[in-house]
Amino acid sequence: MLQHFDPNKDYGTPASLSEKLVTLEIDGVEISVPEGTSVMRAAALADINIPKLCATDNLESFGSCRICAVQIEGRRGTPASCTTPAEAGMKVTTQNEKLAKLRRNIMELYISDHPLDCLTCPANGDCELQDMAGAVGLREVRYGFDGENHLDAPKDTSNPYFTFDASKCIVCSRCVRACSEVQGTFALTIDGRGFDSKVAAGQNEDFLDSECVSCGACVQACPTATLMENSVIEMGQPEHSVVTTCAYCGVGCSFKAEMKGDQVVRMVPYKGGEANHGHSCVKGRFAFGYATHKDRIRAPMIRDSIDQPWKEVSWEEAIGFAARRLKEIQAEHGRESIGGITSSRCTNEETYLVQKLIRAGFGNNNTDTCARVCHSPTGYGLKQTLGESAGTQTFDSVMQSDCVLVIGANPTDAHPVFGSLMRRRLREGASLIVADPRHIDLLDTPHLNDSMHLPLRPGTNVALVNALAHVVVTEGLEDKEFIASRCEGDAYSKWRDFISDERHSPEHMEAVTGVAAADIRQAARTYATAGNAAIYYGLGVTEHSQGSTMVMGIANLALATGNIGREGVGVNPLRGQNNVQGSCDMGSFPHELPGYQHVADPVARGRFEAVWGVEIDHEPGLRIPNMFDAAIAGQFRAMYVQGEDIAQSDPNTQHVEQALRALDCLIVQDIFLNETAKFAHVLLPGSTFLEKNGTFTNAERRINRVRKVMPPIAGKEDWEVTVELSNALGYPMNYSHPSEIMDEIASLTPSFKNVSYEKLEQEGSLQWPCNDEHPVGSPIMHVENFPIGDGKAHFAITEFVATTERSSRRYPLLLTTGRILSQYNVGAQTRRTDNQAWHDEDILEVHPHDAEERGIKDGDWLGISSRAGHTVLRALVSERMQPGVVYTTFHHPHSGANVITTDNSDWATNCPEYKVTAVQVEKVTQPSEWQKNFHDNHERQQSFLKEAAAAAAEAQ
Amino acid sequence: MSQSEMDRLVQMINQIAINNISAGDENAVAEMIAGHVQKFWSRRMKQMLGEYTEQGGEELHPAAKLAAEKLLSQAA
Repeated sequence: MLQHFDPNKDYGTPASLSEKLVTLEIDGVEISVPEGTSVMRAAALADINIPKLCATDNLESFGSCRICAVQIEGRRGTPASCTTPAEAGMKVTTQNEKLAKLRRNIMELYISDHPLDCLTCPANGDCELQDMAGAVGLREVRYGFDGENHLDAPKDTSNPYFTFDASKCIVCSRCVRACSEVQGTFALTIDGRGFDSKVAAGQNEDFLDSECVSCGACVQACPTATLMENSVIEMGQPEHSVVTTCAYCGVGCSFKAEMKGDQVVRMVPYKGGEANHGHSCVKGRFAFGYATHKDRIRAPMIRDSIDQPWKEVSWEEAIGFAARRLKEIQAEHGRESIGGITSSRCTNEETYLVQKLIRAGFGNNNTDTCARVCHSPTGYGLKQTLGESAGTQTFDSVMQSDCVLVIGANPTDAHPVFGSLMRRRLREGASLIVADPRHIDLLDTPHLNDSMHLPLRPGTNVALVNALAHVVVTEGLEDKEFIASRCEGDAYSKWRDFISDERHSPEHMEAVTGVAAADIRQAARTYATAGNAAIYYGLGVTEHSQGSTMVMGIANLALATGNIGREGVGVNPLRGQNNVQGSCDMGSFPHELPGYQHVADPVARGRFEAVWGVEIDHEPGLRIPNMFDAAIAGQFRAMYVQGEDIAQSDPNTQHVEQALRALDCLIVQDIFLNETAKFAHVLLPGSTFLEKNGTFTNAERRINRVRKVMPPIAGKEDWEVTVELSNALGYPMNYSHPSEIMDEIASLTPSFKNVSYEKLEQEGSLQWPCNDEHPVGSPIMHVENFPIGDGKAHFAITEFVATTERSSRRYPLLLTTGRILSQYNVGAQTRRTDNQAWHDEDILEVHPHDAEERGIKDGDWLGISSRAGHTVLRALVSERMQPGVVYTTFHHPHSGANVITTDNSDWATNCPEYKVTAVQVEKVTQPSEWQKNFHDNHERQQSFLKEAAAAAAEAQ
Repeated sequence: MSQSEMDRLVQMINQIAINNISAGDENAVAEMIAGHVQKFWSRRMKQMLGEYTEQGGEELHPAAKLAAEKLLSQAA
């Protein structure tokens, strides 16, 4: 990989971004470094390694341990090299007798209060204290060990993933600084003074009970065994590592999978990862145990009916059974009677193959993806306005932002590593505006400066964004030069007339949004005049009946203020799952071939037909909700679902279950018996990200390699299964490695033209478009023109239309749904890890006012009813929402959160309106009927699985 | 044809109409709706819409009905 620094080396202090170089001499070696570089880092860049303990290059220098002392010609004393900036003409000595003696004396003091159990210590082989003792030549501790010390300090084992052993702490503050500077949580501190100084979590609490979010930054920063992964304590040090990409959220963090043979010992965030720069969250860092969980499906299974037990069979038999059923159904019910769903949890290559199988093997375009239910409005809205269905920036761009507008997103929970980066910028002084019905944690960022919360009513996003744009236009805050040169004139004029109308004014919209007009005006002024203003948004924007309109409204606002096309600005959809961007790029939608090329475009279709050797249908296929409707109508009879759990994640669960029950053949490929698989006839074992090769594309369009670190538990990588199914259906596929699939993608997708595994190895990652115009990718989009019409952006008319889902006397509250840090999506992975320690059930947050009216207290069982259904959750009284709004998550299937969400959806894309459901809440004493049925069906389907395993064992 | 499936299609196209009502005059709105349906709906969904329109299309929003008629005339 091409790296301008060695990501495996610790340079002691962070890099300086100055373009001015200074030249100095260290131990007689001349070196030029950017101004502001520390002497320690300058030395490290010249391969001169100065001993250090409190310094590490992802933290600002601290200068507490003094072991990095050096001598500088013409200066008195022995300054710390970590806190001394390199200067032109400086002559530095890092090694001489005086320095050696000083360092030995310091080490002697450290070691006099440190257990000498190196041989049995979990950090043995990876301990900086041990290394430094060796480096300085420590041979004796003259003080003895009988004096007052910390050797009996207690361990804190409350966190399920790491242990805090205070007896080994040298109080270097690296953990405290990592928690503050890198993570931005400030959960740790040094309590006490002098000899009594100690690391404390929260208000001297256990780690688990404190504000600690278990991101692992402190564990990574610790130079001793004080903060140590439990997996290392249990298994010992890893012996090799492989760089790969996290399979959780859309940040796409790079990790080193540190291994013992084919066992993962720990996942360590990779400093060379461009998306995360060596930081992590509790999911990516620690929650990988699901990969080897006992619930993994280890053998293919088939059955004729969903009321029958499973039968374990060979891969050949399962694939043959699936292919035969699909062919029979098509023969009886027609070519369009079957289809499939790709997954944002799978790789680009796997997603590409599934849609190829459907278009070429099934002979129709009935392919869709789970992005349908999350970011499909992003694809539509950004394509209409900016010309490309993707976010415009890198994550790092936020560090150049002067104002950050967050709409309907909760980065510290759902995109935690980027949330930390955003917090860093906010601490540096950027303004924050949050538009969200709920008070999110970002608003509680320590050392936050200027911030505003616009607590709008659920379902009124478009009214709000129109009001913001109205202020920009009517107060003359537009960037007229940008608009004249970069935007299409007619569309702009129409939009300007539309948005200037008084009906969009904050004063008119106040009654609709519930946000004070003065606040909207202030927010608009802050955004428009900040300099660099960036918008970040999430599913709180897209999952509405006007999701697409809102995305276009956001683009309008950015265009009107000239906040597109450079660092620090832009429109940034925060993608939920690891490969949402990639699954959309790879042609998963029924109307688009890979690279967002419409199926009706004869030129694009012709290219695919030439390579695939088949005729492709020029009509779009069915979207997921249309598949469900057609299944219930008896027109759609079979589905191939790879890595997606529509029975849990899609809205109006009863409707989804009715559709799945109606299918003649459901083929599910997954790592677990998920909720959808309970309705399946063929269950094909999936492979986790640790078991396969491929690529993921994150929210900043960054294509990152996924590298296999262990063999697939059931013998096949997911892409191999699709290849075999295709071949069995009579449409030949022949690939020996995912790199060949990527080569085919690159040959057919203009924005991927120069992408290859070879180039990814060289560059580390690539942000598309990556083609002849942008040979090493495009970090920032739309710098010179827009890929739409004549290169000019298109303002869209965004009329506010209230959702039909409104509160009423029968359903007086509005339910909105969201995510929590420790769980991921349907929870299939995180529920099978120790992340359960933080969130083992979905709960309903109720405002104290609504709780009091209903006599609700924390922990009460609440029945939640909507026009779609009824479920029961436990209560948490919380002021995070405004009165009249209740909130829950959907990470646990038995919660039935989607039993109550309706089939209302976005007008343009049918993305479900998860964020607005009118409900009534009342205290109850027992689970809902749906939950009782769910429990019974769960028990029955689990017994079918056990019977299959028992029969297979007996047959052997 | 399932009634609930047809109800859903009517609901979908009416929603497209209502959300684009400010796109211009009735003809412009209908053009926009027709273009959207042409681009995103499946063959069978378009056929169902066509049949429903030929039978009177009673529940269709006026702009949606005009769009459906345009699609029918294009297909003819």
